[in-house]
Amino acid sequence: MIEIKNVSKWFGDFRVLENVSETIEKGQVVVICGPSGAGKSMLCKCLNGLEPFQEGDIVVDGISLADPSTDLIKLRQKMGMVFQRFELYPHMKILENITIAPIKVKKMSQADAEKKAFELLERVGIPEQAKKYPGNLSGGQQQRVAIARALAMEPEIMLFDEPTSALDPEMIKEVLDVMINLAKSGMTMVVVTHEMGFAREVADEIIFMEKGSIVERGTDVSFFKNPKSERTKEFLDKILLV
Amino acid sequence: MLAYDFKWSILWADPYGSWMLEGIWVTIKLGVICWFIALFLGTLIGTLRVTPWKLSRLFATGYTELFRDIPLLVQLFFWYFAAPRILPHSWEMYLYRGIPNSEFWIVVVGLSLYTSSRIAEHIRAGMQSISDDQYNAALSTGFTQFQTYRYVIIPYAIRLVIPPLTTECLTVFKNTSLAMTVAVLETTFMSQQIEAYTFHGIEATTGACVVYMIITLTVVMIMGLVEKRLAVPGLITRR
Repeated sequence: MIEIKNVSKWFGDFRVLENVSETIEKGQVVVICGPSGAGKSMLCKCLNGLEPFQEGDIVVDGISLADPSTDLIKLRQKMGMVFQRFELYPHMKILENITIAPIKVKKMSQADAEKKAFELLERVGIPEQAKKYPGNLSGGQQQRVAIARALAMEPEIMLFDEPTSALDPEMIKEVLDVMINLAKSGMTMVVVTHEMGFAREVADEIIFMEKGSIVERGTDVSFFKNPKSERTKEFLDKILLV
Repeated sequence: MLAYDFKWSILWADPYGSWMLEGIWVTIKLGVICWFIALFLGTLIGTLRVTPWKLSRLFATGYTELFRDIPLLVQLFFWYFAAPRILPHSWEMYLYRGIPNSEFWIVVVGLSLYTSSRIAEHIRAGMQSISDDQYNAALSTGFTQFQTYRYVIIPYAIRLVIPPLTTECLTVFKNTSLAMTVAVLETTFMSQQIEAYTFHGIEATTGACVVYMIITLTVVMIMGLVEKRLAVPGLITRR
């Protein structure tokens, strides 16, 4: 489904991504973790064509992102993305936030788009918020709307860029529950997160990144029980303290 | 020294009262027309300045600097005295004789362009205060660049910059007074003419001051209503 082949990206002398390779099959959930500045978010943005890269290639469903003739608009419709700070459109009500892309991009009728939006709001557990503005919702609720907004385009892949990092501890669970359900429904997911509980429960593969490269990868048991690199061990010790 | 003989009635006495009203009407017309043209052009140019395309950014930067950096009075003189001379002779004649009130429209051009460059900067400031991920979020749902600006970034940015836009709107109405220098018969011109006919300068000028006060306070009120109407939770709101 997604094939990342030796991708490198740099700003001047600074290497943001260094020879990153990874294959993600349909229905797989891949969790990316690592210290800040490791290039996790950048990799996520590269996958969606939001950031260019200098070397290597990313192939999504047979479409090459390195090919300049690739229609990024089409490609992005296959992928939904959720951001750390939700990034809902503050001047639109929740319902409009979800329906605008299906209406304007997919040319769906307003009635169909709203029906779909209510189904999605039901799925993320907040149908009663449809007529409010993002500013009236809690962080957890906003992030669930953001997930619904991404799902409204019926993507085949969902990218999550630290979806719970900006949330109060109490709200993390409500967002993770939605993501776990999504994973269990067979969605292909790439999740940048430090929520190791989530990783344990649904991840098919966990990747540890540092300084732009993948330092370690493993299925959940091997990854947590006996990390091969010293750096991974140190990192896991820190985030698994509690 | 003779005592000054106040005669406020000259402000409404025939024919001065109707001169004043004509002047006020021209001021309002000029201000409103220039404001909407400038708002449209300014939004467009401000947007072009932050787009990812180098050429459009270059164009927009040049536009902004050109119209922002020359005094408005000089620009008006340019459009009135110099620009028509550059045109072919027949066009120049048409401009002066074929178009009624050509001086009015010349000021519309000058004042709109000048104001649009200032509005462009406000719009740019608004857009640059929006996080990169907001753009990315819109793009990630499959929006084109154009749709991203049209549905998300511009409506968002305008809400952020309404307070400075209110100031800008007031400035347009105040700047219309410079139109008198190219013989547009607006409020300031008329008040000066009344002074010339009656020698009642204090009354005539005070009258003009009051007129501008009323116009600008009305603008402040209208913009306040606009701000209230566009206010959304979580963004700056009028309290």
